[in-house]
Amino acid sequence: MENTYLSELKEIKVDEGSPLFDKTNMFYKEFPSDFRQIRYFTLLIVQTAPLEIKEINLLEQQISEIIKNAVKHGNKCDPERKVRVWYSFSPQHAHLVVQDEGDGFKDLEKWNDFNRKRLELLSRHDFENLQDYVSYRTLLSDDNDGGNALFAALEYWNGGFVFNTKRNAVAMLKKYPQKRQGISVE
Amino acid sequence: MELKIRKNGENYIIDVNGEMDLYNSYKLKELVMKMLEKKVERFIINLENVDYIDSSGIGALIYICSTIKKMSMKLIITNIHGSVKKVIELTKLMGYFPITNSIEEAIQQMDE
Repeated sequence: MENTYLSELKEIKVDEGSPLFDKTNMFYKEFPSDFRQIRYFTLLIVQTAPLEIKEINLLEQQISEIIKNAVKHGNKCDPERKVRVWYSFSPQHAHLVVQDEGDGFKDLEKWNDFNRKRLELLSRHDFENLQDYVSYRTLLSDDNDGGNALFAALEYWNGGFVFNTKRNAVAMLKKYPQKRQGISVE
Repeated sequence: MELKIRKNGENYIIDVNGEMDLYNSYKLKELVMKMLEKKVERFIINLENVDYIDSSGIGALIYICSTIKKMSMKLIITNIHGSVKKVIELTKLMGYFPITNSIEEAIQQMDE
């Protein structure tokens, strides 16, 4: 049990050649980087998803975090800069590519190191020292940054969470278990 | 998001109503900080009527939890359910936050 968290160690990868960046047959929308409208933009995308994968509002919440990162950390809320979103949903999957016009996620390796340490502490149930690893912060973080969105994202997007080489686009896939349909025979 | 405070003995119960998102989670943080200034020592945050939380909301709970721990005051978060519970599980913070299933249980734990 001790290594539960470490045995499933996940990290953010950089792989522009990943099939997750294949945008064939995906829908597309673009938005200005308006912080006040992040949840509205998210709803415009999520409304096309089948009800059974919305999981009340978990899908919306996870997509909103990625769009927020693009608007706030990528484009620095500059309304002249766009966030571009490619998306595709079915009862079995949610697939998105979100791209901003920023300089890219430069701290990606530092974030992975931080997350590795966090998972080590969790595996040891060391909640005392976990205190310093519950929120990833940089000099640019402000009071409203939770610093925990990507921890959840790595868990949620179980089909992969990958950045492009410039690190200003991220592709992600969530796979849902296929429900068996039919009638039971006694 | 609407915040209401009620008192039960020494315990101050904060009922959170609505969504804890990137636009309003700071309000809960500010309220708890003001209550700490007024020497409140026992907090129960009731999330029964919260159906949506994002990383800012989780961040607010982390901030409140760590501040109250540092000051050796008491905090319990209660009635976590639905996608709020799922988001806390995804961030693996269920063991970090002091959590109970009901207000009654929270009050009982406060007195232990």
